[in-house]
Amino acid sequence: MIRPYATTLILMFTVYCLGCNSKGPSASDPNQITVGVAFETLQTEYWVAGFDAIKSELASRDIAVLEAIADGDPNRQLQQVKNFITRRVNGIILVPKDAKSCIPAIRAANAANIPIVLFNRPASETDAKSVAVQANNFEISKETVSFLIEQARKSGTKTKAMIVLGDLGDINAVGRRDGFEAAVQGNEEFIEVVARVPSEWNQEKAQAGVVNALQANPDIGLIFTSSDFLLPSIISALKAANKYHKFNEPGHVIMGGFDGDATAYQMLRDGYLDATGVQDVYFEAKASVQAVLDMRDGKDVEPLIQDPGFVIHRDNMEEKAASTWGANVQPAN
Amino acid sequence: MVSRFVHSGYLTLLLCGVYCLAVGTWVPGFFTLENAHNVLLALLPLLVVATGQTVVLMTAGIDLSVTSIIAITSVIGAQLITSDGGPLAENWLATPIAAIAMLCLGVGLGLANGICVAVLKMPAFIATLTSMMFLSGLAIWWTQSEQIYNLPRSFLSIGNQLGSVLLITILLTGSVHFLINRTLFGMRLRAVGHNPLAARTSGVPVSKTIVWAYVLSGFTAALASVLITGQLETGSPVQWENNLLDIVGATVIGGTSLYGGRGSVIWTASGVLLLSLIDSSLNLLSLSHFTIMMIKGAVILLAALLDTLRYRVNEGNH
Amino acid sequence: MQTNSLLELSQISKGFFGIPVLEQVTLSVAPGQSLGLVGENGAGKSTLMNILGGNIQPDSGSMNWTGSAYRPHWPRDAEAAGIAFIHQELNLFPNLNVAENIFLADFPCRGFWIRRLEMFRRTKELLGQVGLAVSPQTPVVNLTAGEKQLVEIAKALHRQPKLLILDEPTTSLSEREIVHLFKVLRALQQQGMAMIYISHVLQHVQQLCSTVAVLRDGSIVGHGPVEHFSPGQLVALMVGRELEQHFPRIEHQPTDRLLLRAEALSQPGVIENVSLAVHEHEVIGIAGLMGSGRTEMARILFGLDSCSSGRVSVYRAGEMIEITKLPVSKRVQVGMALLTESRRDDGLCMSASIDENLGVVAGARFTVRGVLNKSLLRSSINRTREAVRLTPTASGRQAVRTLSGGNQQKVVLAKWLLNEPRILILDEPTRGIDVGAKFEIYRLIDELACKGAGIIIISSEIEELIGTCDRIIVMRKGEITNSFDRSHFDREAILNAALHSIEQVPA
Repeated sequence: MIRPYATTLILMFTVYCLGCNSKGPSASDPNQITVGVAFETLQTEYWVAGFDAIKSELASRDIAVLEAIADGDPNRQLQQVKNFITRRVNGIILVPKDAKSCIPAIRAANAANIPIVLFNRPASETDAKSVAVQANNFEISKETVSFLIEQARKSGTKTKAMIVLGDLGDINAVGRRDGFEAAVQGNEEFIEVVARVPSEWNQEKAQAGVVNALQANPDIGLIFTSSDFLLPSIISALKAANKYHKFNEPGHVIMGGFDGDATAYQMLRDGYLDATGVQDVYFEAKASVQAVLDMRDGKDVEPLIQDPGFVIHRDNMEEKAASTWGANVQPAN
Repeated sequence: MVSRFVHSGYLTLLLCGVYCLAVGTWVPGFFTLENAHNVLLALLPLLVVATGQTVVLMTAGIDLSVTSIIAITSVIGAQLITSDGGPLAENWLATPIAAIAMLCLGVGLGLANGICVAVLKMPAFIATLTSMMFLSGLAIWWTQSEQIYNLPRSFLSIGNQLGSVLLITILLTGSVHFLINRTLFGMRLRAVGHNPLAARTSGVPVSKTIVWAYVLSGFTAALASVLITGQLETGSPVQWENNLLDIVGATVIGGTSLYGGRGSVIWTASGVLLLSLIDSSLNLLSLSHFTIMMIKGAVILLAALLDTLRYRVNEGNH
Repeated sequence: MQTNSLLELSQISKGFFGIPVLEQVTLSVAPGQSLGLVGENGAGKSTLMNILGGNIQPDSGSMNWTGSAYRPHWPRDAEAAGIAFIHQELNLFPNLNVAENIFLADFPCRGFWIRRLEMFRRTKELLGQVGLAVSPQTPVVNLTAGEKQLVEIAKALHRQPKLLILDEPTTSLSEREIVHLFKVLRALQQQGMAMIYISHVLQHVQQLCSTVAVLRDGSIVGHGPVEHFSPGQLVALMVGRELEQHFPRIEHQPTDRLLLRAEALSQPGVIENVSLAVHEHEVIGIAGLMGSGRTEMARILFGLDSCSSGRVSVYRAGEMIEITKLPVSKRVQVGMALLTESRRDDGLCMSASIDENLGVVAGARFTVRGVLNKSLLRSSINRTREAVRLTPTASGRQAVRTLSGGNQQKVVLAKWLLNEPRILILDEPTRGIDVGAKFEIYRLIDELACKGAGIIIISSEIEELIGTCDRIIVMRKGEITNSFDRSHFDREAILNAALHSIEQVPA
C-alpha cells in the first residue's frame, strides 16, 4: 500500500519539475519594470510613511510593485525575497530586521543578478553586494541637539540634559547617540548630561527609564529622544512629574527628537517640542528607486547613499512642512 | 474503496495535484524550477520536524516544544562556532562538533519531555507546552535576544545547499519510515497509540515506547535546527517561533491521527508538500501574512475535522 | 393474574444477534407489592430491567402500566411514568453535595437563581424519609457506601415514584448498613410503594419480598408467593437446567509439576491472603460474584496491579523464579498471558487491524535486533489464525472492531498463542460470544492444556467451569473460601459457596 503511494508522490514532484519552465514566467510586456518591496514591519508611522513614499515614487515612474511584509520574521523575509526572485522582479527594495539577518536574502538576489537596495537600514559588512540608503543620523542629530543647546544657553544657567537611547544593536541608534554626544562636546559650560536612558526601541522601557531619571534629577531641563515614536512615553513621564509645559510657559523642558513623525510635528505646532531631526523619507524613497534603476542599467552606484535630512524647529516649521512626512500624515491615536 | 481512499493519505496527494493544476496556471512564477527549488528548500526542514511529530502523534501525544527546541539548539550551536568569539571558532572540527552537540541537546530535551509524559503521567499537551515556554524564554534570556551571525561556511553549507538538505531529509525520513513499519518499536508505537491499556496488558513497555517517541521528536527538531540555522546563516532565539502550527498541521493534513495509532511518514510528506504549495502560491500572489495565516489555518482546521470524522467512524457510535 | 396490576409484562422477548436473551416473559406487580427477582448471571435480569427502563426495546410482547400501554423509548419515559431505578453501581457525583446530587436534574429555580434554601429544606425531608442524619450540604465523597445507597434512594423518592426497582443494592454494604436499608425499605413498603428487588442473596429476598420470580435462561421458571419456595428450591430453580453437552470431552490430564505459585497475596480492600498453585496440563476455574476479587486477583498475578504482600513465582528453566516485582512486559516474556474481562477496554486495539493486534504480544519473537521478520510473522499469524479458527473471510488489514464478538475473542486468544504461553489466565473468556464460538474456545482450552499449559479460567457461568476445569476455586469478598475437585463438582454447592447462602457447603 505504501510503495505505490511513495511512487506517486515522487512521480508527481518529478512531473511538476519537468513541467516547470526554467526561464520563468514570460512577462506579458517585456518593457514593464517590476520592483519588489519587502518591509520587515509596518508597525510604526515612519515605516508606513516610507512604504507609501516608495510606492508613490514607483507609481509615478510607471513601475509595477510587489509588496511583502515579514512581521519581524527574518525567515519569512528570506522566503519573500526568494518569491520576488522567482517572479523575476527587476529590483528589490528591502527593509531588513537588522544588519545581519538580511545577508542570505542579499546573497539570493546577487545570485539571481537582481539589484537590491536596503532602505534606511544598511547591512553589516559582508561579501554580499547591496546599496543602502540611509539618513545621516550623526549629522542630523548633532544639528538638532545643537539647536536645543542654543535654546538652553538663553536661560543663562547650566542645564541638565537627558538622552533616550535606542537599541544600540541598531546602527541608526548608535549614529544618533554619537551625534548627541558630539553636539554636547565643547558646550559643557551650558549643559551637563545627567541621564542616558536605554529604551531598546521599546515604549514601556523608555517610560520606566524616563520616570526614574526624572526622580533622580528633578531639575532636568533638556531631553533628546533617539526616535520620535518614543515621545508619548516621555510625555506621560513628564506629565506625572508635572513638567510638561509649552515653550512660553515657566518650567518648560527643552525637548528634541528624531524622525519627524506626526506626533512630533503636532507637538512642535503646539509649542511643546523645540526641534526634531527629520529623515527625508521622500528623498530616501526617490534615492532608493533611482539606485535600483541605475544598478539595473549597469551604472556604478555608491554603496551608501546618505539622506542629509534637516532640522525642523519653531522658526522654519511652515517652510519645511511640505518635505516633513509627519506633517502629511495623521498622528497615530 | 471510497473509505479506503479517504482513510489513506491519497486524498492529500490528490489535493496536491489538484491544487497545482488549479493554482499553477495563474499564479505567476509557480511553475518555475526556481520556485520548485525554493519550495523544496523550505519544505525539507519542515518535513524533518514533522517526521518526529508524526511519531509522537502516533502515541496519541503531541509535542508542542519542537519550535523551542529548534530555537535553543540553534543559538547554542551557533554560539559554539560563531567567529564573533565562539569557543570553537577556529577549530577545523567546529562544524561536526556543533552539529553533534545540537543533536545531543535535542535528544536530551526530548527525553525530558518523554519522562514528563510517560513517567510523570502529565498530559502531553501541558508538558510540552510548558517546556516550550521555558525553552523559548531560556533561549531569549541566554542570548539577551541577540542573533548570532558569522557562522563558518562549512556549517552553512549543510543547510543552504539543496543536495545536502535533500540527502539528510531522505536519510531521516527513510529511517523513520522503516522504524515505524518494519520494527518492533513501530508495532508497539501503534498499539500504544490505539489503546495504551491493551498495549500494557499485551506486555508492551508503554512508558518506554512513549519516551522514545519524544526523544525522536527532539532529535528531529535539532536536526531541522541544523538545517534552518544554515539556511538563514543565523542562530536566533526566536528561530521558527511562528511555525509550530505548520508542523502539527502538516502532519495532520497528511492523515496522521491526533487520536493516535495511525500515521505514516509518507502521509506526512504529502501533508508538508500541500501546506508548502499553498504557502508558496499565496506568497507569490503577494498576499499579506495575515491572509496567508487565515487560509492555512482554515486548511488545517479542515484536516483536523476530517481526522475527527474518521475517528468517529472508526470507533463506531462512541 | 390480577386485573388491577400496577405493572404488567406479557410475552416479552428479546434477542441479541439471534441469541435469545428473554423468552416470553410474563410478570406482574400489584400496587404496594414487592417482587423479588432472582436468577444467575446472564439469566436476563438486567435485560428485563433495561427494557422496563426504556434503555432497550423488546422484540415482541407488551407492557401495561397503571392500566394503559407502556412503551418507554428513553429512560426519561420511565421516569415520567413513575418508575425509579437504584442501580448496582451508584450514579452519584462525589464532588457535589447531597442536595445537589438529589436535585441535579431539576434545581428549584427562580429565574436564573437556584433556590438553595428550598432545595435544602426538601433534601432534609427526603433524608428523613430514608433515615439518614447528614446535612444536605455534605459532599457525597465523605459518605460511606451505605449512606450513598440511601442518598440514591432519597434521590429516587424525590421523583415520587410508584415503583422502585433495586438492582443488587446490598453488594457493597456492611451487615449493619443492610439492616438499616431494609428498615427503610420496609417503611416505604408500608407507605404503599411497590418494589422489584433483584438480588443474588436469597435470604434478603425472603426477608423483604412478598412474591418471588425466578429467571433462568431468559424464561420465568418459578413465580409465586415467597413462602412457597425454600432456599434450596430457589437455587435448584436458578441453576436447574439439564446439563446439556455444550462442552468438548476433556482430554488433558493434570500433573503435579508446578507452573505458577501464588503465596498469601494481599492487597487491602481488594484481595486477602490468596494462595494458589497451577500445574502443568491443569485447568483451574475461579467462581465468584462480580466484586469478589477474582478479576483483581488475575490482574495482580499478571502484574497489572500491585499487591502489598505475598509472592508470585513461576517455573522456568528448571527452577521456580520469583516474579512478584516484575512488570507485565517481563511476565509476558516468562510465558504468562492474560485474556482480560473486557475486550474493548484493555484486550484489543479495536480500530487497529487484525494483524496489528496479533503481532503486538509476540512481536519480539520475530525480530532480529529490533527489525521485524515480516514473512516469518505472517506465516505464524496464518498458522495461529487457523488454530483458533478465526473466520477466514477476514483480511489481516481489516479493523478488529468489524469482527463479531466471538472472532474478536479469538483474536485475543491468538495474539497470546503466538507467544506460546505456558500460563494462561482467561477472565470471562466466553462473555458475549455465541454458542458455537464458545464451544471452539473450550476446545482450544483443552488443547492448550494437553500441550502442557496451565490455565486459570474466571467465569460467572458455573456450568462453564464445571465443563472445562479440573478444579474450581470459589472466591468471596477477596478471599478463597472453597475449593472443589472434579470429583466433587456440584453446581448448587458451588453457587451457594459463591453466594454465601445460609446452607452449609461441603468443603
